[in-house]
Amino acid sequence: MSAVCILTPVVIMAWPAFSAAVVAAAGSLGWQMAAEARDQLAATVQPGSARVQLEIERSEVVTNQLGRDQRIAVSREGVTVTFSRDARGQAALCVTGHGQSDETLRALGEELSQAVVQQYVYQKLMDEMRARGFNVVEEEVNADRSIRLKVRHWEN
Amino acid sequence: MPQREFEITIGKTGEVELHVKGIKGRGCLEAVKMFEQIVGEMKSQEQTGEFYEPEEQVQYRVDQRH
Repeated sequence: MSAVCILTPVVIMAWPAFSAAVVAAAGSLGWQMAAEARDQLAATVQPGSARVQLEIERSEVVTNQLGRDQRIAVSREGVTVTFSRDARGQAALCVTGHGQSDETLRALGEELSQAVVQQYVYQKLMDEMRARGFNVVEEEVNADRSIRLKVRHWEN
Repeated sequence: MPQREFEITIGKTGEVELHVKGIKGRGCLEAVKMFEQIVGEMKSQEQTGEFYEPEEQVQYRVDQRH
């Protein structure tokens, strides 16, 4: 072994890739796609509903569809998380739920946004390593939900 | 035929732990740089013994005969 390093991800992706990462991450945690983001958001913001706004640090969602309202919403057990691109281009999420504390909603939102970032990193690494001629020789998901990959490249 | 092998662990927060194997010296630095370009910012780095070993080199000796 020559070096061990820890890297903090910087998330830069186009909206279609971002929404694909949201769908994959949400599915792995038992969230389901909400029928229509805007309708779902309107339906859940009722009197007595709590609402928490979060953002994904070091993220940038690139879009060429300026002015278009791009959102994707997922729900689970009465809680809805709506992902969007904020005015600065950063990925943001709004967590709403009836009869839930702010702390609970924040924890649910953070768990889901972390899973989205993990999914983004996984997909990016797989694409980039394959493009560089590496083969994935081992892949497993650990009990703590971390993903372990072993990639190998034979030199000519 | 030599090989390059990387062990990558993507934590549940998206943080990446990278183990670089079988690459010495400058080659190791280049590998780490490649992952920085793909993933993002370096948070910490620790080199192990092999990092400091010289890269394998082939030396040629040319004798000029008259």
